[in-house]
Amino acid sequence: MRYLRPASCDEALGMLSAPDTRIVAGGTDVYPALRDRAPRFDMVDVTGIADLRKITQEDDWLRIGAAATWSELIRHPLPPAFDGLKAAAREVGSVQIQNAGTVAGNLCNASPAADGVPPLLTLDAEVEVAGPEGARRLPLGDFILGPRRTALAPGEMVTAVLVPEPPAGAVSAFAKLGSRTYLVISIAMVSVLATAAEGRIAEARVAVGACSPVAVRLSALEADLAGRPVADLNDLGLVTSAHLAPLSPLSDVRGSAAYRVDAVGTLVRRALLAALEGRNG
Amino acid sequence: MSQIHVTTKINGDETEFLCGPEETLLDVLRDHLGMTGTKEGCGTGDCGACSVTVDGRLVCSCLMLGAEAEGHEIGTIEGVAKGDELHPVQKKFLDHAALQCGICTPGFLVAAKALLDRTLEPTEEEVRYWLAGNLCRCTGYDKIVRAVMDTAAELRGA
Ligand SMILES: Cc1cc2nc3c(=O)[nH]c(=O)nc-3n(C[C@H](O)[C@H](O)[C@H](O)COP(=O)(O)OP(=O)(O)OC[C@H]3O[C@@H](n4cnc5c(N)ncnc54)[C@H](O)[C@@H]3O)c2cc1C
Ligand code: FES
Ligand code: FES
Repeated sequence: MRYLRPASCDEALGMLSAPDTRIVAGGTDVYPALRDRAPRFDMVDVTGIADLRKITQEDDWLRIGAAATWSELIRHPLPPAFDGLKAAAREVGSVQIQNAGTVAGNLCNASPAADGVPPLLTLDAEVEVAGPEGARRLPLGDFILGPRRTALAPGEMVTAVLVPEPPAGAVSAFAKLGSRTYLVISIAMVSVLATAAEGRIAEARVAVGACSPVAVRLSALEADLAGRPVADLNDLGLVTSAHLAPLSPLSDVRGSAAYRVDAVGTLVRRALLAALEGRNG
Repeated sequence: MSQIHVTTKINGDETEFLCGPEETLLDVLRDHLGMTGTKEGCGTGDCGACSVTVDGRLVCSCLMLGAEAEGHEIGTIEGVAKGDELHPVQKKFLDHAALQCGICTPGFLVAAKALLDRTLEPTEEEVRYWLAGNLCRCTGYDKIVRAVMDTAAELRGA
């Protein structure tokens, strides 16, 4: 293997056109997966590309460069619509992991339990990709195809995660259920983004992770929530099994499928109450 | 495999070393530079025993290549005391008996110092959050958390 450190995206794309290359950003997914074996591929470390490290506002889009870390995102001043994303960032591993791991790496790794995916789905995030054929952009929901599978073609790299201007007055929250408080793989996690006026929900977006091969938005639930009184969120039966139909959780050591679905209903109400009323339900 | 020549600063001293492209910074510190204060617990980012700072940012040296140190400033446990004078947080670990076997201690000290370099007014919750990436299998976390809270209080002159 060789360790390559390009200074620009063009240089990186040149390196990636060779066979047996692998992009590494923070390395917090790549290195543990090697399990002490010397890698058989060349590592292309994209963290030396200055432009990719930046988080900037460009017109109506927030641009999170592909080498920006979770810690950099947490420190970046952002409106309440991003509180859910920041809360998720604080749950990614530990301080050590957040200081090295990147937002883009979390998406590219495409774990069903990736904490960054649900909040970015509620923010309608897009992924910017550069490759030998030029640049393209695709919605996050089209970028992650399955566990460990993305729409990246050989030789392509992610250059940024882009978030459009959220709806005016939007609030958001993130709720993760794990077996302990810190440093856990999620049993289930929920991210919500909502607007409300005069005690009624105007718009609610709900995404669930760790309960299907790829995190999903619950569109039937979102449609049912629009126009409802905020007080309805106290109704324990608010979230029905029909709303949760897009989920297909596994039973594993962390929890049974039935437990996960049950937990999601509660997490959704809690997250919406936390976002809209600043309290837990 | 060809060796990579790396120039870096470790605990303030200009340092040069040669390493293989697959060697982690942890390997380099321990096996090439003889700086064995930094420990390996897991090698996968879970335990924090290998904690170091890179340009002041706390990271796991087992999840970073030696080659990545090029041009950066590394801080390790060996740089926490000033000569024979222990850092206040080291003294408080002794006062509070916040260690038993000691394997996790360098990582905790480096992490705690990184927190105290940012703030001298951490809440207990902040200390627990900050140290969540450091695991200890012997002492229990209460003594460690109290030692760090007590150091913060002393340093702000309370
Ligand atoms: C102890 C520990 C705890 C963790 N806890 C959590 C947790 O609680 N929640 C969570 O979601 N994750 C967790 N993780 C996983 C990991 O930290 C995150 O997924 C992180 O965001 C990955 O980012 P990275 O920069 O380190 O990715 P890397 O490891 O550098 O890369 C990950 C993958 O993405 C690819 N890649 C990276 N950048 C690009 C790019 N620009 N273009 C194309 N492909 C790219 C790489 O080739 C690789 O396949 C944990 C990891 C560890 C070691
Ligand atoms: S040895 Fe690096 S985190 Fe355990
Ligand atoms: S003192 Fe033994 S692991 Fe912490």
